[in-house]
Amino acid sequence: MAIKYTFQGLLIYAAIAGYLLAFIVSLFGGKKSGRFLHLFGFIIALLAFAYRWYHVGHVPLQNLFEVFLALGMSVYPLGLFCRYVLRTPGRLADMLIGAVVLLPAGFVFSARPQHLPPALQSWLFGPHVAVYVLAYIFMAKAACHAIAHIVGNTPFVDENLLSPEQSAHQMICVGFPLLTLGLVLGSCWGKLAWGDYWGWDPKELWSLASWLLYAGYFHFRSIYRRRFARINCLWAIAGITIIIVTMLWVNLSRLFAGLHSYAV
Amino acid sequence: MSTDGTNKGRHRWIVCWAGLILIGALFFLSIYGAFLGSSRAKSFFNSPTMIVIWMTLTAGLIFSLVVSRRLLRNVGLLLMHLGALSVLAGAVWGSAGAHNLREKLFGIRKFQSGQMIIYEQQAEKHVVSESSARITELPFSIRLKDFRIEYYKPEYLQIQGPGARSWAVPVEIGSEVFLDSDLGSITVLRSFENFRIKIEGEKRIAVDANGLGPNPALEVQLKDPNGNVTTKYVFERFSAHARPEDKLLLGYYRTIQDYISELQIIKDGRILAEKSIEVNHPLHFGGYHFYQHSYDSENEQYTVLMVVSDSGLALVYAGYVMLCIGVFQHFWLRGIIGKKLKAN
Repeated sequence: MAIKYTFQGLLIYAAIAGYLLAFIVSLFGGKKSGRFLHLFGFIIALLAFAYRWYHVGHVPLQNLFEVFLALGMSVYPLGLFCRYVLRTPGRLADMLIGAVVLLPAGFVFSARPQHLPPALQSWLFGPHVAVYVLAYIFMAKAACHAIAHIVGNTPFVDENLLSPEQSAHQMICVGFPLLTLGLVLGSCWGKLAWGDYWGWDPKELWSLASWLLYAGYFHFRSIYRRRFARINCLWAIAGITIIIVTMLWVNLSRLFAGLHSYAV
Repeated sequence: MSTDGTNKGRHRWIVCWAGLILIGALFFLSIYGAFLGSSRAKSFFNSPTMIVIWMTLTAGLIFSLVVSRRLLRNVGLLLMHLGALSVLAGAVWGSAGAHNLREKLFGIRKFQSGQMIIYEQQAEKHVVSESSARITELPFSIRLKDFRIEYYKPEYLQIQGPGARSWAVPVEIGSEVFLDSDLGSITVLRSFENFRIKIEGEKRIAVDANGLGPNPALEVQLKDPNGNVTTKYVFERFSAHARPEDKLLLGYYRTIQDYISELQIIKDGRILAEKSIEVNHPLHFGGYHFYQHSYDSENEQYTVLMVVSDSGLALVYAGYVMLCIGVFQHFWLRGIIGKKLKAN
């Protein structure tokens, strides 16, 4: 764990503080102040992302530091989309997710700028990673709703919004096509860069496993609908667990050395 | 058994559960494969046992399309399943086994993948096939006009001083960089692509030579606070070394931006195609893709190309397109936007 005494680090810490304060204030009933702080956290996270982009001179999605920064910046707008388009609640969870995903960027991963290696100099680099970032946020939000359903805790019941199990399903419905697109774009990129659209690389196989898990979720829910709502929710939680393994364990562990090892 | 207890429901129940079991099997096999590493996983997923599972999956997809009327009625679901089927079919058609089978049955001589080494200014048509390790001939030759490596600018001079102090100085010829009041300053005087020492009489002169190489180096001048000047040579390929009296440890670093091979396709003495290939920009010709794979890291005299057959690729890409259209149609257009419009 290392503190970043840079302008970049300062922006990240300010965004984390904004999100955490928003969470605490909202938890104690300060809805308006909470929303304001949430927006403040987002603006600072957006600035941190834009500053990084300017600093490195390419889309900052090359390594885990940049990916976590992108995650922290994307949670807020996706939360708005979920609330107003999908009618799913979860503002409080968004605040917490925003802070949690920025923590590794602020304290764990190195912010040292790196040149893009030849394999990453492709038009598919940005879309492939960005689509996965969006998909992972939807799946993380789905898991939050699933946990809320399992523990039977629905803090802010609103008649206009969906129940936690239905919300989780909606999120997965939005995230799954993105997950599919990410897998397909990665495969097309692999074909261009390495000559094979499927290299049996550990990261590819874990990504396929997470895709299959959600495909299994849809088959299961197609059979039983909401009859076994708790099992549906367990699928969603298992899904985010596999995603975390795909994102972190595969990149950080020497056990899974492969084509994606540079993305640390 | 089923949610509604009817025959239709029972069919759907069977199809969905069969799909679920196959998906589950593939899920666990994927995780198992991830622990094997790429090369062992590749062998595992091409093993006879896995071929049976792939065939079962293909049969399952066809079965679901035949039996389930819901799949046929719903465009999105249909495209998703057809897409998966097309990807599987393309993968089988493009596999090494299918290439061998087509050669045995129909005499079509096309290898699945291989590598070729081509020296600068020479033409080559021999490919070492990966699956059978035999040498195969292409119906045309490939000539390497030039191979080069491009580096990111600026290059860096890495300086390590006493007390774990360090500097990364961008290489700019002639510009003096002040380090600190104890160490003085440093100036890069010259850069060499291929550093050699030429002896003229009793003098040793540093020159940038042609011929076998390269040996990138920098000539730097160190000026201490008392004004004493020393000249040093810093090499990219030889790690930094220092004498006991040296205060600074110097290193020369460059980051590779790209590897580029300028290729010509030649048949019967005529140039049929020409392209500079680099990572992410392969050449497609005569049913094969040619990729920049490796190079002569010692002397940069030859390039190593990976040659991959394009058989089955169209099916795989068609499958990807169907799969993507299918998931977005089903989950976004029909599932979210459609429902929202209906509700309004």
